[in-house]
Amino acid sequence: MSILSPEQQAIKQTTKDFVAKNIIPFAAEYDRSGEFHSYLLDASKASNIFAMAIPKKYGGLDYDALTQALVLEEWGYGCAGMGTTLAASILSMDSVLIAGNDEQKLSYFTPMLNAEIGAFGLTEPGAGSDAGAGKTVAVKVGDEYILNGTKCWITNGGFASVFVIFALTDPTAGMKGISCFIVERGRSGFVIGTADHKLGIRSSSTVELLIKDVHVPVANLLGKEGEGMKIAMKTLDLARPAIAALSVGLAQRALDTCVAHVQETYTGKSRAGQTLQFKLADMQIQVDAARNCLHQAMALRDANVPFSKESAISKTFCSDVAMQVTSQAVTLMGSYGYTSELGKYMRDSKIMQIYEGTNQIQRLVISRAVLAPAPVQAVAQKAGK
Amino acid sequence: MNFELTEEQQLIGQSARDFAKQYLEPIAVELDHTGEFPKAAVKALAEHDFLGLLLPDEVGGAEAGFVSYVEVIETLSRAVPAVASIVNNHAIAAYMIQHWGTDEQRKQYLSEMAKGDILGALAIYESGATPGIGPDALVATKQEAGYVLNGKKTFVRNAGEAGVYVVFATADAAIGPKALTAFLVKAGTAGMKIGAKLNTMGLKGCPVADITFENVVVPELALLGAVNQGLAIATKALAVASVAEAAQTVGIGQAAVEHAAAYAKQRVQFGKPVAVLQAIQTLLAEVATDCHLARLGLREAALLIEEDQPFETEAAMVKSFLVRLGSKMLVDTCQVEGGFGYSESMPLPRLFRDIAGTNLLDAPGDFPEQLIAASIA
Repeated sequence: MSILSPEQQAIKQTTKDFVAKNIIPFAAEYDRSGEFHSYLLDASKASNIFAMAIPKKYGGLDYDALTQALVLEEWGYGCAGMGTTLAASILSMDSVLIAGNDEQKLSYFTPMLNAEIGAFGLTEPGAGSDAGAGKTVAVKVGDEYILNGTKCWITNGGFASVFVIFALTDPTAGMKGISCFIVERGRSGFVIGTADHKLGIRSSSTVELLIKDVHVPVANLLGKEGEGMKIAMKTLDLARPAIAALSVGLAQRALDTCVAHVQETYTGKSRAGQTLQFKLADMQIQVDAARNCLHQAMALRDANVPFSKESAISKTFCSDVAMQVTSQAVTLMGSYGYTSELGKYMRDSKIMQIYEGTNQIQRLVISRAVLAPAPVQAVAQKAGK
Repeated sequence: MNFELTEEQQLIGQSARDFAKQYLEPIAVELDHTGEFPKAAVKALAEHDFLGLLLPDEVGGAEAGFVSYVEVIETLSRAVPAVASIVNNHAIAAYMIQHWGTDEQRKQYLSEMAKGDILGALAIYESGATPGIGPDALVATKQEAGYVLNGKKTFVRNAGEAGVYVVFATADAAIGPKALTAFLVKAGTAGMKIGAKLNTMGLKGCPVADITFENVVVPELALLGAVNQGLAIATKALAVASVAEAAQTVGIGQAAVEHAAAYAKQRVQFGKPVAVLQAIQTLLAEVATDCHLARLGLREAALLIEEDQPFETEAAMVKSFLVRLGSKMLVDTCQVEGGFGYSESMPLPRLFRDIAGTNLLDAPGDFPEQLIAASIA
């Protein structure tokens, strides 16, 4: 019995069919060439899937969090590079959902109804895990802000129509001086830099952004000046489970590939022994546990319950599982593993532990939650004093 | 057991380090890009006597012993893992001829192999789980003047570049693996077709391909060891090879952890180098520990091989250890370098792809754990 609603099951099936037709047959080719999969954006138009997180009011599909996770898992199953494009577009959108006003939402979301994509520009060469150390500045002049700086490893950057860019409006105020802006592609001085050749997710676009005297109207400021870091953190809370979902898809794909190979190889007199059988069982345990962990986090989000800790746990656990299961798959399947698409799954998995907050940063979030005194205790302690 | 290297072993290690610096480090990136067989590097290896390390003096070998050999393999692997893999496959083929060959076979092949005039390769695996069983199993049929080979071997390293292949075929399809028999087949023998180079994740430059045999006629003299002795030969040779392959893994892991440690010292986040963060220290420390323990283990196994003592359990333990922790060395060192650790413009992604090609469970019917469990008294 499935815990999914009939509607969720139907969406899952539709996505599976879409992925089988539009993603799986092309994933290896795009991994080899490293070219961006523009064709997929066209193919996605009919389903409006790039608008799955956009509220109905703005023309989107308004999927709940669990349903979004189901879709992303299937995309991750097909190709984590292509799935990354969808996840990263939603990531940028989340900032606008969190902090945008009606006009901003309308202007940011409208391109996505046409399968255009967005990008989230937080990271800089000197500001990775230390996201508050960015040097990009935004100076207010009249009714405009003028932005200057460099962003790096910006997913979707090469092909996005709209960007969320973080910049310091008050360089003396540290993290409290960071603000968040919408920047449309094509603004003068907003230059897309070189694409990075990566270990995996090779068909996803990862670029540097060179921002030189880029003028944006004050209407492009999301929230208030100084709220940038808060917006970024909330955005990442919302978006992290997307990485968990891609990871579950990757792990499931590696497991399915192993199982098919074992069934094909061990025929007749040669039987798979218990060691191999149990290793496959362990992989299945990990994949199922990862999926359940993710779905629980999504259920909390859909119930509007705080889920920061669960969000971080799902990202960490699912990406660690993807890394373990895909590595195990390569080793276990021997030279077949090393010369087959299993290698791609292993390469793709590695980024899941790194981007949208490394798993070390997640553990920081989780350990703070673990070590924080329970509210009741805190009250009792206070009363005791 | 003494874990210190002798003066001679240290000297050989030093000459390997010098060699790697001069001939291998400069080609690492390009070799990974082109994937073309590194002819010049292999020629240089031959000129510096690295292709006959295990072979006796009388055939022109260095007779350096297995401990020196794994020291060299680790060093070559630190610089370019694919080259270490080429050397290893060659050396194990030569080792087999040295151990199971007749005087005539040794004379025929080993001087040339020691000089590097010809390379060796092993053709063991088949598309079925166990050689000798599947539909493509290589079958040797006895005829008057020797044997006729028909079937297919998979995943042969050094394929297309080797001058001699140690090929395992079943001499009796009815009993499959029990009749496994080893043959020495010269490159270019009529009916032997090297397939297209397979696309490996890493270890680029060490060619891997399938080989089909269509009515390949080999003389009686091509038989290595006795008929039906193949399984015993393959088992022992693969155990020896696994110790040397462990040295490849340790070389890669050591190179990676040193790179990551240097990176962590200069990468500043939160106002200080990330090397001062315990989270980073733990990642580095665990990889360094795994590398160190694996090195001790493989060195012990190498010494046992060198002294002609039973080594199979120790070899299996090293393999079991690295099957669990080998790839993790790069998973964790890449993690230390974060986004940089995922960019192919940096060295760790290449090493990530390389290390995944070591300690593969190519004969998954034979997990090292079975042998270890059986050895516990």
